[in-house]
Amino acid sequence: MRRSKRFMLGIFTLLLVLIVSACGGSGNGNQTQSSSSGNENADSGSSGKTVKLYNFKVEVAEQLNQLAAEYEKETGVKVIPETCGGGCDYSAGLKTKFSSGDEPDIFFVAGFSDLDLWQEHLEDLSDQPWVSDMVDLAKPPITKEDKIYGMPLGLEGWGFIYNKDLFNKAGITQPPKTLSQLKDAAEKLKAAGITPFENGYAEWWVLGNHLVNVGFAQQQDPVGYIEDVKSAKAKIPGNETLNEWANLVDLTVQYGQKNPLQTDYNTQVTDFANGKAAMMQQGVWTQLQIDKIHPDLNIGFLPMPINDNEQAMDKLQVGVPNYWVVNKNSKAKDEAKVFLNWMVTSDAGKKFLVDDAKFIPAFKSINASSEQLGPLAADILTYTKEGKTLPWLWQRYPGYEANTSQMASQIQAYIGKQITKDQMFTEFQNIWNSFSGK
Amino acid sequence: MTARRWKSGSEYAVFIGPALVFFTLIVIIPFFMSMYYALTNWNGVSSKVTFVGFDNFTHLVSDSLFRKDFWFTVKFTLVSLVLINFIGFGLALLLTRAMRGRNVYRTIFFMPNVIGGLLLGFIWQFIFVKGFASLGSLTHLPFFELPWLGDAPTAFWGLVIVQTWQMAGYVMVIYIAALMNIPKELLEAARIDGGTRMTVLRKIIIPLSMPAFTVCLFLTISTCFKAFDLNLALTKGGPFNSTESVALNIYYEAFRNNNYGLGTAKALVFFIIVALVTTAQVIYTKRKEVQA
Repeated sequence: MRRSKRFMLGIFTLLLVLIVSACGGSGNGNQTQSSSSGNENADSGSSGKTVKLYNFKVEVAEQLNQLAAEYEKETGVKVIPETCGGGCDYSAGLKTKFSSGDEPDIFFVAGFSDLDLWQEHLEDLSDQPWVSDMVDLAKPPITKEDKIYGMPLGLEGWGFIYNKDLFNKAGITQPPKTLSQLKDAAEKLKAAGITPFENGYAEWWVLGNHLVNVGFAQQQDPVGYIEDVKSAKAKIPGNETLNEWANLVDLTVQYGQKNPLQTDYNTQVTDFANGKAAMMQQGVWTQLQIDKIHPDLNIGFLPMPINDNEQAMDKLQVGVPNYWVVNKNSKAKDEAKVFLNWMVTSDAGKKFLVDDAKFIPAFKSINASSEQLGPLAADILTYTKEGKTLPWLWQRYPGYEANTSQMASQIQAYIGKQITKDQMFTEFQNIWNSFSGK
Repeated sequence: MTARRWKSGSEYAVFIGPALVFFTLIVIIPFFMSMYYALTNWNGVSSKVTFVGFDNFTHLVSDSLFRKDFWFTVKFTLVSLVLINFIGFGLALLLTRAMRGRNVYRTIFFMPNVIGGLLLGFIWQFIFVKGFASLGSLTHLPFFELPWLGDAPTAFWGLVIVQTWQMAGYVMVIYIAALMNIPKELLEAARIDGGTRMTVLRKIIIPLSMPAFTVCLFLTISTCFKAFDLNLALTKGGPFNSTESVALNIYYEAFRNNNYGLGTAKALVFFIIVALVTTAQVIYTKRKEVQA
């Protein structure tokens, strides 16, 4: 009897300890969540010498790990990259991390709307040595009230990537720059038994962020037009430029592969790299993936024309996709800043940016040759140097990617012949109205 | 007396305690927190949380996409429910007969359930996009040449096929357990009395495996209603939102549209609906259960 009592007491104590420790854990988590200003970064491992980096560039995950290892060897500060991107939803992942108290020290935000969303968590980086070295194009999206909150990851651009060998095979000598020339080229490719376009239209961002952007960037005054639509001074249906833009959409579908609405990013890039199609609407970031499949593919960029005005059409869309930012409430924010500065000043860091990750440097002092970056980046650099660029605009739309993902659904419906062109533009207008608060 | 009560009380605590603690931490507390967030317009990031009362719920009434997604989910649940249980029960009937290698078959049919939904979704995405397309260009059979994930009706059936393939094996195991528990003498007596196969099935086997139907219907209804990972991996809700399940809609609302408050409000409404439907189903099928 006495023995069993003591046994019970033992069990009970054990249980009590378990409950108390579990509650302790939950209390800690709750605190971090409710007080985002709180400085208790609930991470047992961070002794101030560990920088947690939340990366979204899947393409460079391995290279980033190597860079972190090198940095640790050099300085003793541990940088732990964690990657989420491509198939993984970065912004949802980031929010989860913040609300669960597992806040990273360095992460990525995009410019404009995304900056507004995250600004209260971001450290002002205006005093950093690299700021004066940033190219001008990279500054406006990450500037708020004259303060700079992030370091540009690099320049990126997109257009139609084309396979030069397949173009030669079809007897196309001049790269097409206007809509009619593009149509001719597609016709010739088709006659030669080559699929002209590989459309990744299952991906909302290929449609909503990138394809739609052409229609807005080709406006006389793109930013002004966006502001006018937001304030109901201008409308989307009946806009001549957007109407022309729809012709480009039609062209890619008409001369595209079968079932574009189920072709996702991976399928698109893989098919293109394997020579199954001559063109795809994609960006410079595909270079690494193409190299893995077909290292010597003879490729380059074509502009995305919506009419026959060659001078206006011969432009690529170049901008800064994302900025490294530092968490204001991080214990390791000084280490994080040092790491970022090291990355753009040290030889190892520059080598990572240019040779390994193949980012087109957004800093004036970092040089890159086309041999280092590959043919796609070289084309972006050439167009950028000649000033033949179109701005990225979807970050200025009301509702940001909530808006673009809904527009993407409408374009899918249009491509799937569920709605007409006019209905698509009316739906665009409704989406814009709902995000402009009207 | 008191010692005895103390003893049984602590026994309960030992067995239930740990699970209860974790259940409270991971389910109960977040549930009540989400009730609070449903009444705010929190965007998921900001430290400013404004109380808006029932605005989120009134907004739901006019949310046409939510309604559309809800009907999609209902249709998906109904069709999958029928197919899963029909196939699962059929397999169970087959595999309780004396046949060679039935354990191997049971394992094989159960296998899809062991693979996680997300992974399974990606595997099937590959099959639909690449596999079917290759078969189509080889054989020119129209079935394989359909735009499987690229068109609304076929994407719907694509999801149903994968969901059925994943869950049929699972309910099969439950049905097998029920079928094996049916007393042999009842079956023999029925056969001696001249009952045909169909009569035996309808009058003896099905009524006696009613408890398994209760469980399986409950599991399939609640799983299909909450379908998320398959939709995310296979179609991401596309094309043109036609295969967006309610769970996916809630996720997009909270995390992509940055309306965490509205998202939790939707989740609460959804919870109430699923709870009502499954309770009604359990009460109904429970009534049909009989004793041998």
